[in-house]
Amino acid sequence: MRQAYEILLRLYPRDFRASFTAEMLTAFDSSAHERRAMGRSAYLRFALAELASLVVGAGKEWSAKFKTDRSLRGRSLPDRLMMRPPGVPWEAYYGNTLVKAPESALPREVMEAQRRAALLVELIVHAIAHHDFEGARTYSYQERQAREYLRLLREKYKCWSDTWPSA
Amino acid sequence: MSLVDKPRHGYALLKDIDALSNGRVRLSTGTLYGALRRLLEEMWIERFAQEDTSREKQAYRLTAAGRRQLRLELDRMRQLTRAGTARLRAREA
Repeated sequence: MRQAYEILLRLYPRDFRASFTAEMLTAFDSSAHERRAMGRSAYLRFALAELASLVVGAGKEWSAKFKTDRSLRGRSLPDRLMMRPPGVPWEAYYGNTLVKAPESALPREVMEAQRRAALLVELIVHAIAHHDFEGARTYSYQERQAREYLRLLREKYKCWSDTWPSA
Repeated sequence: MSLVDKPRHGYALLKDIDALSNGRVRLSTGTLYGALRRLLEEMWIERFAQEDTSREKQAYRLTAAGRRQLRLELDRMRQLTRAGTARLRAREA
């Protein structure tokens, strides 16, 4: 029965399986153990209901995956390092009209602020990977503050992102 | 509602819902985890790290937003039952 359950779990979207498969199997094992003690017919009813609910549930999850907002669909956080930094016009950012400056050319304050923001992004990713969502929220708050500080420094020194204006 | 008093993991939730409904509602694991996924996305619940937490036994707890939402939902149900009772009484009188 467990084998059938595991096979049907594969019908679910990959992101759902990554989050819940282990837990679902544990809950199924505990429930199955309890129902088995209640008799053969109770166990059979339970098993059929479980397997049917997996088929229906998988359909619902696929439907939810396509119906939910695009930002939630992938069920992962956007890569903030790939986002256009505040204060940089999108024409300049996407038109590649900014050229990369050597780090040494940046003021020390800006360099340090950049490193701190990047470190905080790494800490957020690490915290999420370890299911420490409270920690991730704290780092996210600190990262927002660090980015704001960085934006002010960039305005002060007239430099954006890790780039200098080419013209 | 099962998460109001303390964090619970999947199997504990199934047992609690069974007890809360006097055995009328017996959720399957597929239904339960579909609901947990939706509640997590709405940020009404969150994963909670307990000392003995493992990947197989992840506990969940209600967030402040979830508690607020539950209160709203209970108010709505209270209002509905009050209106229903009032109409029934008026009809019987």
